[in-house]
Amino acid sequence: MKDPYAVLGVSETAADEEIKRAYRELARKYHPDNYQNNPLADLAEEKMKEINAAYEEINKHRAGGRSDYQSYQSARPSSAGGAYYEARYNSSASPDLQRIRREIQTGNLTEAETLLNRCPERNAEWYFLRGALRQKRGWMDDARQDYQRACQMDPTNLEYRQALHYMNHGPARTYSPFGTLGDLCAANLCANACFNPWCLCPMFCCWS
Amino acid sequence: MFGYVRPPLDGLPQEDAERFRRAYCGLCHALSRRGAAARCVLNYDFTLLAILLSDGEGASDKRRCIVRPVRPRPVLSPTAALELAADESLILAYWKLRDNVRDDGLAKGLASRTACAFLRGAYENAASDRPEFAGRVRAQLDVLRGMEAERVASIDAPADAFAALLRDAARDVAPAARRRVLEEILYHLGRWVYLIDAADDLKQDAASGAYNPVALRYGLSGGRWTDAARQEFSVVLSHSLQRIAAAFELWDFGAWNPLLERIFYSGLFQVSRAVLDGAFHKKRIESEANE
Repeated sequence: MKDPYAVLGVSETAADEEIKRAYRELARKYHPDNYQNNPLADLAEEKMKEINAAYEEINKHRAGGRSDYQSYQSARPSSAGGAYYEARYNSSASPDLQRIRREIQTGNLTEAETLLNRCPERNAEWYFLRGALRQKRGWMDDARQDYQRACQMDPTNLEYRQALHYMNHGPARTYSPFGTLGDLCAANLCANACFNPWCLCPMFCCWS
Repeated sequence: MFGYVRPPLDGLPQEDAERFRRAYCGLCHALSRRGAAARCVLNYDFTLLAILLSDGEGASDKRRCIVRPVRPRPVLSPTAALELAADESLILAYWKLRDNVRDDGLAKGLASRTACAFLRGAYENAASDRPEFAGRVRAQLDVLRGMEAERVASIDAPADAFAALLRDAARDVAPAARRRVLEEILYHLGRWVYLIDAADDLKQDAASGAYNPVALRYGLSGGRWTDAARQEFSVVLSHSLQRIAAAFELWDFGAWNPLLERIFYSGLFQVSRAVLDGAFHKKRIESEANE
């Protein structure tokens, strides 16, 4: 196992507070929220596990064997992130779409695309899944349009609306060492009304 | 099309700015082994490519060059990664120029044609050692050209054709985790370059009637943004920049970390903002005048 202090980037003599800060910063950086529908999500998850294990190790050692601290869960969506979604948390009505979800989740994008094209029925979920596929590939504009279509066809589905919300607002709250990454977008998107009727803005914006 | 990457050298510690310069000079020397003409493709975009492909900083040695003929300066010593980056840069720049020859009007086309002829020897040198990469670049630019001829009204499809070119530069990198990180960074960097270039050319393309995916996608007329379109487009750009940053955090680039962090979290945003405000060309001219 790697030196837990090196993993957290602190010295062995660092104060508890400093270690906690370093841990929090890293956990924020590799949080699943930053790797939504990202082809490298598996690498981020490994990092998160490594950081959690290192923090656990240091705390155990310092507490003389007791473990009375709390670490972030590596693959749990944050309650405050709001926009977190991943195809795996939901199930599909049809076995075909269920399979496509699985292929997208495991990164078999070519296979997922073939299956999508073969699907006879183009329902809301079909558009949602094609959006997820495109987002993973980095086709951000087309992905957003697919999510929008899915929301229009099924306005009550929370999963679709969360996906659209994320695409509409950009990664405004994601990690950056220099403040918010999303400040490229007009000053503050939430200050301006969102004109998209399907977006989750009224529900989620107050958190930022 | 290339030339949008700006390392924010002003705000960078001297040590990191100097490290960047050593890479820039190292790439220049690696290019010139393909002939003196190859040097003219040198730019910050390709320096970034060289830094990404180099695993760690590597050694430096002192060399003279045309710009500094008297006092030798430390430059990155040639490595396989640096030579690969130099050849790939040369091949990309050459085919992009060839593309311009067909694209541009008579006067500009003539300039591109001359540059192409000038680069041809150096290109052939590089391409004979990297025939697969040269072949893929050529094929991929044909795909892009096809989309331009069809006047595809999507921004993702043509950006993908271009981004795939850059992603391909990391195809043989090992181990797999590093390759995947580099491919993701290069793909989104290529995508960003293509989109920012289209945004930067809005007015010019509107005047000449040339294909512009951004204008078509958002239905812009006269090369002028609407507020809604600009906002939507800036979100699209920031998604790509976020993907670059998220990928960057998954590999340890050693001595390059502070520099890359600056470029990815701040430099690319500054350029994006300048282009969206229509202030980029002016800035480019000013900074060149100050150099």
